[in-house]
Amino acid sequence: MTRPDRSPDAGGPGSGIRPRALTLPSPAVGAESAATAGVVDQVARPLRRRPGLTRWRDITATQLFLVPIVVVFIVLFVIPLAKTFYWSLTDFTGYSLNPSFVGLKNYRIILADPSMLAGLTFTLLFTFGTTILITVIAIPLAVMLNQRFFARNAVRSVVFFPAIPSMAILGLVWTYILSPLESGVLNSALGHLGIGPLPWLADNTLARLSVIVVAVWAGAGWHAILYLAYLQSIPVEYAEVAKIDGASPVRQFFHITLPLLTPAVVVSQFLLITNGLKVYDLPFTLTGGGPGFATRTITQSIITSGVGQGRYGLASALAVMFTIAVGIFALAQIVISRTVERRIL
Amino acid sequence: VNRRTFLASAAALALGGGAALAGCGSSKTATTASGSGNGPISFLSWDGETTMKPVLDGFRAAHPDIALTATYSPPVAEYIQTLQTRVLSKKAPDVFLIAAENKTNLIGGKAVENLAGKPFMATVPEFNRKTYGSDGGEFGLSIASWGAGVLYNKDLLKKAGTDSVPTTWDEFLTLLQKLKAAGVQGYLESLQGMPTILAAFLGAVNAGTDDTMDAKIFDGSAKFADYWVEPLTQYNRMYAEGLVTSDTVGLKGDQVRDEFAKGNLAMMSTGPWDLPTIRETNPKIDMEMVLIPGASGLAPFLAGAASPGYAISSASENRAAAETFLTYLASPQGVAVWQKVSGAISVTTDVQPKLDAALDPIVSYVRSGNIYLPQIAWKRAEDILNVEAVAQIQQMVQGKTTPQQVAQALDTKLASS
Repeated sequence: MTRPDRSPDAGGPGSGIRPRALTLPSPAVGAESAATAGVVDQVARPLRRRPGLTRWRDITATQLFLVPIVVVFIVLFVIPLAKTFYWSLTDFTGYSLNPSFVGLKNYRIILADPSMLAGLTFTLLFTFGTTILITVIAIPLAVMLNQRFFARNAVRSVVFFPAIPSMAILGLVWTYILSPLESGVLNSALGHLGIGPLPWLADNTLARLSVIVVAVWAGAGWHAILYLAYLQSIPVEYAEVAKIDGASPVRQFFHITLPLLTPAVVVSQFLLITNGLKVYDLPFTLTGGGPGFATRTITQSIITSGVGQGRYGLASALAVMFTIAVGIFALAQIVISRTVERRIL
Repeated sequence: VNRRTFLASAAALALGGGAALAGCGSSKTATTASGSGNGPISFLSWDGETTMKPVLDGFRAAHPDIALTATYSPPVAEYIQTLQTRVLSKKAPDVFLIAAENKTNLIGGKAVENLAGKPFMATVPEFNRKTYGSDGGEFGLSIASWGAGVLYNKDLLKKAGTDSVPTTWDEFLTLLQKLKAAGVQGYLESLQGMPTILAAFLGAVNAGTDDTMDAKIFDGSAKFADYWVEPLTQYNRMYAEGLVTSDTVGLKGDQVRDEFAKGNLAMMSTGPWDLPTIRETNPKIDMEMVLIPGASGLAPFLAGAASPGYAISSASENRAAAETFLTYLASPQGVAVWQKVSGAISVTTDVQPKLDAALDPIVSYVRSGNIYLPQIAWKRAEDILNVEAVAQIQQMVQGKTTPQQVAQALDTKLASS
């Protein structure tokens, strides 16, 4: 069984498994065919002959298309980011525009505050818990949904449905399902089996678990559909050849499907990690961040400190630290996933 | 668009998004506008349109010469943020609500007018005027208060051989034991906020110090540990003795109310706001609200506070019209209309509120200001301390911290804020 050929830099569903004959030869491999090189030369020569002004115009015209997004990026991201850093060095309360400069005091308060550190702990737990569980569930689910079976489209819709309502609404609904009272929906069901009642949202460990499980329930279907889209771009010939060679379905999954899904895994995990790090709505509506600070998140701390407590300077410092942390995680995820991708493909 | 472009864009969005959470704000310098015009006025309401419309209609009928524009923002966090944004951007409404959550910043930032001595403040009790006061100034027209006590189901209490809630904490715990033995859920509360019972205990302690408890804590002459440990210990007895489960940590107020309304719960702590829903759910329920039993030999007390007060923006250019509006809101006609729609316990001396009969045992206490809520009484860092207190109490009822540790945590938080 041969590994499908692909360029390491190719992206998107199916783009990495183009036959090599369809790719343009580069100078590095030009020695393989003088005739092909001649064709490339003929194609490239007219470009070289263009006057510099025309070429500059072409480049400028292309660059002009970037202006709107650059303006939006500067106005909506760069300026607020710079102002956030400025406010983080002050005691800005949100009511007076003449705050005092306090240096790094806000950063010191954050690093010495146990509740802030508790928020960081659960945020990381939530991020990695949901990323791992959703990935482990969504890929096999996508493979199943890619098979032919009765009412397949209806099942796909049902699987996707939890991703439609807002997480805040889901949190409120699940509050009643996971009520620690005997009359709670889940505890009532367990009561018929002689189990419980269990303090789902009233115990530190169970509350953390409950928040993660609800997030996995809500997100697995969406990511399964993402994987399904990638799966449908994998040519069936690979599986057919493997089947003729005698590969079992499990072997086909681990040696053909999973490696070819690597681009999808990269995208899915990037979204899961960034969304997980900034999660707020689900834990807030489900547990309010409790018991204690067990399910408090960094974003909740930013909002509570800024809006609720009028400590915008402190909240800004937290936002700056959080932004740097998210950036580090995002870049690390990209580097690691691309390394893995190169090894596999 | 290849994956590299997508990931780069997504990384940029992720980076910018985190900072944008707290970074947006205006940077214009403040300019204080003043005026005494009688022109149109703007009003940012705390109550919803259903509650305020009859009041505003009454004002417009009485003062057709003053144009009034009302906007609405629901309490608490959304209101506070909306108002804060408008104050900061120099677009503060002429009249708005000053609440426990923003009074320190509004008064400290000189964003509100001093209303002391104004004729419309004459019928407001001293308790309400002092709640939104500072250094002799009075900055909010608070025409109502709320009080929270123990609401009990008379029929369920009969199963324990009694027909009312006792007045001492020891007897209350004995009642819980009897209800438990009779197979009745005795008491539930939501621990998503400051416990009503603990607030009442602290109110009784504060009353015993001539209302100096919080002043001493905040001027550094006393600590939380000096006053809070005993009330916390008494409060925690119902959890430590297994009479109430720590499930309350995961309950919301609505869930507790629903259990009570369905007749599954003998007692809960709440205020007037839950009664209409309970009556609607279970019209036949026989209930009454009484004071929280007294602990450690102290008198029964109520949790509660003065309702948010109407304030006039110091930047208002139509101050005369704004004062006319507040005069109407404090008038017998204005209070009567608002009280009827809101069902709140109004406190102005010239109007007797018409309330649910179940509230009769507490109304006079509330109107006379015999109520206490820590986060209102605190002098600064109110929400910071409240968040810390609630989290620590949640841990305490689970047996993970002690009353001493809770009090020490508050002292530590106060010292660092």
